[in-house]
This record gives sequence, structure tokens and C-alpha cells, in this order.
Amino acid sequence: MAANQVPSKLVNEAAVEFLTTEMVEAMIRTIKDDPLKTGTDFDPSYGNPNDGAGGPKDYSEGDEAMEAVYYKLEMIGFRVGERLIEKISKDRLRFTDNLDVVKFVCKEVWMFLFKKQIDNLKTNHRGVYVLQDNSFRWFTRMAHDQSSAESVKRVTPYLWFPCGILRGILSNLGIASVVVAETSSLPACTFQIKIAKQT
Amino acid sequence: MANINISCIAVIGKQNNPLYIKNFNPSHADLKYHYIAHTSCDVMEERAAMKAQDMYLGVLFSMEDLSVYGYMTNTKIKFIIVLTVPDVIIKDLDMKNIFRRIHTAYGNHVSNPFYEIDSLKMIKSKKFEQEIEAIGRGRALEGGNRNSLMGAP
Repeated sequence: MAANQVPSKLVNEAAVEFLTTEMVEAMIRTIKDDPLKTGTDFDPSYGNPNDGAGGPKDYSEGDEAMEAVYYKLEMIGFRVGERLIEKISKDRLRFTDNLDVVKFVCKEVWMFLFKKQIDNLKTNHRGVYVLQDNSFRWFTRMAHDQSSAESVKRVTPYLWFPCGILRGILSNLGIASVVVAETSSLPACTFQIKIAKQT
Repeated sequence: MANINISCIAVIGKQNNPLYIKNFNPSHADLKYHYIAHTSCDVMEERAAMKAQDMYLGVLFSMEDLSVYGYMTNTKIKFIIVLTVPDVIIKDLDMKNIFRRIHTAYGNHVSNPFYEIDSLKMIKSKKFEQEIEAIGRGRALEGGNRNSLMGAP
């Protein structure tokens, strides 16, 4: 067996970060700049699509186009999480209950994704778990204004992909859930997992 | 691992749907293994609820000259190995290793973005088939489990 062991593959972290960032940008660009989908020929909230800088984009919620972006990013995350968990949970003992799973997410999954553990976990013991990360890795290298509402608003779409990953992981472990994330001061952010009551 | 004689490897999905079944022993018809795999589903659920913890569930039952081993992942995917009962004692550790290899093969297969996890379809993948074949025949896969792109001709 020993002869068959191969050195583990490594991936450049910067490349992954660029990829995730660009994925969000691409989603917003492709959906927002598609006049057929948004139903308008011109939307003043974003710049000329041919303009490399992109211009100011409107990340406001409730916007139909942003809903579509949310759906897409969340679905991508879901599919990633679904597959990921099969690998991460391989050498682990069976989970006993939901709290056990959430703890696993806080420790091992976070370690796997962001090389750190969740800083704080709160629960109301009725299926709501709040995971707080004081320096979310994908935000640490983003330029931002400490407490500006604008930064917070702009960074929201970048949380949708990890939300989807969490939901995918939980779903494949047999737990139906809703995951939402929010941030009040960068680079900290909180993920809220609501586990649907088992029927 | 040389003395373990695998007759059949089966993979059962979340909803107890068959995902993959491979017969290594020409003396029994495939149908027999389908039957065994299905009868073991309940036993596995029971075992998993009882002695939770380990994913390896040990011998589920014996049937004539065959003994059935089970393994259930955290994601409720079940692996079943059917052995022809040998003369020597089989160590749990050896069985665990075999199951772990199947799990790795499955994990690699699932990572394929074109495979729909909940589609309830049987697994059709050359790579997965090769890996299961290698496990069933009791030999190591050339070039390791994941590196077929880099090493080995």
C-alpha cells in the first residue's frame, strides 16, 4: 500500500480567493447586464458593461436581479457543500445529534475551508445556531471602510456562496436547514443556521 | 488482505436505492446479491441506531456460505461487502480498510460535478468501476487512488 500513497495535492490559496471573488462578480455581471432578464434596457445603478472598472453596482436586496444572483450563488455553494462533506466526514465517527453536526461544522469544516475555527457558537436549543467568525478569511484581504454601511452592503453577495456550502453540507447529512449570513463590521461576520423541525 | 475473498460489493443510496452492485463470484447469479443487499438495509439501519459511533458495522448476517459486512457513511450511503466464508478468521481491521477504500472511491466519484447526487440513478463511471474492480480483486490500484492524471501510464 505504501508505494501507492501519493503526496497530497496543494492549491494556491490566492488563486482560490480570486476565483471565489470573481465568481461573485461574474454572476452579478452576467445577470445584471442581461437586459432580457431584468426587463429594462438601461439601469442607471450600474455602469457601462464595457467599462472595465464596472462602475458602481447596486447591491441592494429586494432587487429582482440580485435575487437571481443569490439563487445561483447559493445553489453553486449547495452543490459544493454536498460533495465536500463526503470527503471531510470520511474519517469521522457517526454524528449523534444536530448539535454534534454543528460543532463539526464550526471546527473541522471551518478549518478545512478557512483554516481557522469559528470564534463563537450560540444556540437557543430549538434549532437556531449562530456562528460568529471574528475575521472571516475571505474578507480579510478586502479593502473596506471599517463601519461604513456601503461596505457592508457590497460585501453581502460574497456571503451567499459560503451560505450555500453550509446548507449543502447539512442537507447531505440529513438536516434540512436555512442558512443566512450577515455582517455588521468587517471582517467579522455571523452565519445563522435555522434547522427545520423534523417531521 | 490476500485471504479475503470478496464475492460482491454493493453501494446503496440514501433512500435505500441501489447505486452500484458488482458481482465477483460467477457461482451465484447477480439476483442473489441484489436480494442480499436489500435484506441488509434494515439490519444496517438497526445497527447504526444501536451502536452508533463507528461507520463500520461489522458482520450483518450470514447466509448459507456467504457472510455480509456493512458500512454506513455519515451521509447515509451504505456499502455492503459479501464474502464467501473462508477457513481463516477475518480481522475487522482488514474489512475496515477495504470499506475505507470503497468510501474514498465513492467520495472521488461524488466530486464529479456532472454526477447528480440525489438522482437515484445507478452509478455509471469508468473510474469508479475500475476502483471497485481493483478492490474486489484484492489488488491496489495502479498509480494510487486519485492520481491517474499524473502518474502511471
